[in-house]
Amino acid sequence: MASYIPIFLMLAAAAGLGIILLTLHQVLGPKHPTEEKLSTYESGMSPIRTARERFSVKYYMVAVLFILFDIEVVFLYPWAVNFRALGVFGYVEMMIFIVILLVGYYYILRKGALKWD
Amino acid sequence: MNIELIDIIFYFLAIVVIASASVVVFSRNILYSAFSLLFTFVGVAGLYVLLTADFLAITQLVVYVGGILVLILFGVMLTNNVFNVDIKTGSIKTLPALVLTAVMAGVLCGIFFFTQWTVRPSEVVPTSTAPAIGMALMTGYILPFEVASVVLLVAMIGAAMIARRDTGKQN
Amino acid sequence: MIEQILSNMWYIRPEIALTITCLAAILADVFFKRKALVAGVVLGGLLASGVLLMEQYGVSAPAFSHMLAVDPFSVYFRGVILVTAMFVVLFSLSSVEINNPRLRVGEYYALIVAMTLGMTLMAGSSNMLMMYLSLELTSLSSYILAGFTKNAPASAEASLKYVIFGALSSGLMLYGISILYGLTGSLDIYAINHVLMTMGANRLALLIAGVLIMAGFGYKISAVPFHFWTPDVYEGAPVTITAFLSVASKAAGFSMLMRFMKVTFIDSTFAGPVGTWALIPGFEFTNILIVLSVLTMTLGNLVAVWQKNVKRLLAYSSIAHAGYMLMGLVVLGNDGFAAVLIYFVIYMFMNLGAFFVVMLVSNKTGSEHIDTYKGLGSRAPLLSVAMAIFLVSLTGLPPTAGFIGKLYLFAALINAKMIWLAIVGALNSVVSLYYYVLIFRNMFLREGTGSTEPLKFALSDNIILFLLLIPTLVLGLYFTPLVQFAQYSVAMFGVR
Repeated sequence: MASYIPIFLMLAAAAGLGIILLTLHQVLGPKHPTEEKLSTYESGMSPIRTARERFSVKYYMVAVLFILFDIEVVFLYPWAVNFRALGVFGYVEMMIFIVILLVGYYYILRKGALKWD
Repeated sequence: MNIELIDIIFYFLAIVVIASASVVVFSRNILYSAFSLLFTFVGVAGLYVLLTADFLAITQLVVYVGGILVLILFGVMLTNNVFNVDIKTGSIKTLPALVLTAVMAGVLCGIFFFTQWTVRPSEVVPTSTAPAIGMALMTGYILPFEVASVVLLVAMIGAAMIARRDTGKQN
Repeated sequence: MIEQILSNMWYIRPEIALTITCLAAILADVFFKRKALVAGVVLGGLLASGVLLMEQYGVSAPAFSHMLAVDPFSVYFRGVILVTAMFVVLFSLSSVEINNPRLRVGEYYALIVAMTLGMTLMAGSSNMLMMYLSLELTSLSSYILAGFTKNAPASAEASLKYVIFGALSSGLMLYGISILYGLTGSLDIYAINHVLMTMGANRLALLIAGVLIMAGFGYKISAVPFHFWTPDVYEGAPVTITAFLSVASKAAGFSMLMRFMKVTFIDSTFAGPVGTWALIPGFEFTNILIVLSVLTMTLGNLVAVWQKNVKRLLAYSSIAHAGYMLMGLVVLGNDGFAAVLIYFVIYMFMNLGAFFVVMLVSNKTGSEHIDTYKGLGSRAPLLSVAMAIFLVSLTGLPPTAGFIGKLYLFAALINAKMIWLAIVGALNSVVSLYYYVLIFRNMFLREGTGSTEPLKFALSDNIILFLLLIPTLVLGLYFTPLVQFAQYSVAMFGVR
């Protein structure tokens, strides 16, 4: 347990540093605001329309698939650390797991769910 | 010294989780709710670490922070006009909900304080949980492990089916 | 351990067959793109699974470190689920709604198989983790299937409502499981029972855990406080899926609830007469079940009276039937459980039959409204007579099978001296007669307003109709084998 304390301390230090730097900048930095400077894209092209538009459902699709394979990876890790101890039998077990998912992957490929047209 | 530090960390994480979860529920803007969820997830991951469930903590980070949160943000963006009134949260039937919540909270707190929970002796807790989880998944829990892959397969097919555009042609 | 896993594979051969069928259906769809081929693969796989299941007749053993219990009880319910799945595939082949050319159908059949797999696992699960996982597999597949005709707004709405209610109740169930785990330190329901018997536990905590877990079961069997999704989903989903949900999903939920109740909370020191048992002293689970049962059947029947959509009417009727079957659990005896088992087979035939008729009528007319049935008696005499018989059976009147189902339920209640509950059940049957008669009256005693030309049905449709009609009639007259089989199948692994 004690071995995790440095991690928490580091997290606290990182968060603290961020807060301190932002505050210092706010307090010490010179401020000469003009209307032009305060606009969102000060040095860029002026926006032509709102950015708050409805996104394509494809982003969602990709995110869902990402999570599914993410979970697969989570399952792979504890198997990988035991790879030698589990031997061929564990390998076969894992292959069954992966093959079932591969069928799903093949299905979404063929159905064009990942096509972006 | 260490014990006190752990207590401090615990209460810090608990406050982070509860405060950010409250923002999720009570914020009038769904985008703030979604971002606040980030702190809830990270805080819970920290609590897992405190419980020496390191594998669970990593899973929490990888799946929830890295995946589910992105999904929720996409979900927010998919809805029309993020800053419109339509998708702001509102409250209806506040009083019954309050009464019900209070009763529920009371009963649950009662249970937590007055129940003799089964506690494992701390010396059996391994330093790293991933190998033990791996062995359990591949032996005693092999059936749920393989069934999980079918669950993922169904989720995959469902996602592809619901999200795709119906073009009308059979391909 | 490896040898043990390999030898345990024998116990899940029906499930392995289902998994392979599911994968084969997906691949067949991707490669050949022929609906009939996919349906054929699925039917073959379901049959193979059924044959493998028959080999397990008489086995009673734990499998995969007590994840599953393979016993006559699970074999019985898995049989009901597989037969229902086969009928649903047959229905789908002649459903106009499903065979709409705008829909791709391959994944539909694959999902039916995946759902069947989840439900057969539910019937055997003896570990809370396994229970939850198989419940989720079933739910996930049914969410997608309920929204399968997603261009129909009602179908999309049904799917969404189903997901939200499903997420809520499975969250509550998980919470309950976590409390139970905290109390006993185990997920294995046999081990939980052992700890509860030897060490005891805080009664309030145990009751709350039981109630929360009941939310998950109640949702699956659509018992009353958790039934809100049922009418909308049953109405919005394709009728084939409605039939599937109303029978197989309910069977799986009931089998899991019955096993959970009888294994986890049984008092193993109880020394009453053989065939009766008791729950852990101080644990008032039966009272909860009595309340749920009365609420479920009363609300289901009373609301059904007002329905104008026949699918929605049958949804409320199926809620009411869940209420009747919950009465069988309250008895705390093997005869009560046997009555539920008998009821399920009968319910399968009559309810599938009623939904099949609804589907055939909607195939021809495109409507499920009760007015569509006006004058149906002269337009499609065979269909109308069949529907009438299914409705009589659903009411529970002789000489149909539904009467036998209710008879055994009420007999079990009366033997257990719960006469008032039996009276509530009987009064409910009277109410149900009213709305079943509404359809009956429209079919035979009202003139149709629209077209009067006769409806013609394919030979295959008529064959399926007879496959459902004959058991509904025969089981009303010759029911001894079914009763004996059910009484035999009450046996669960490891409990008296």
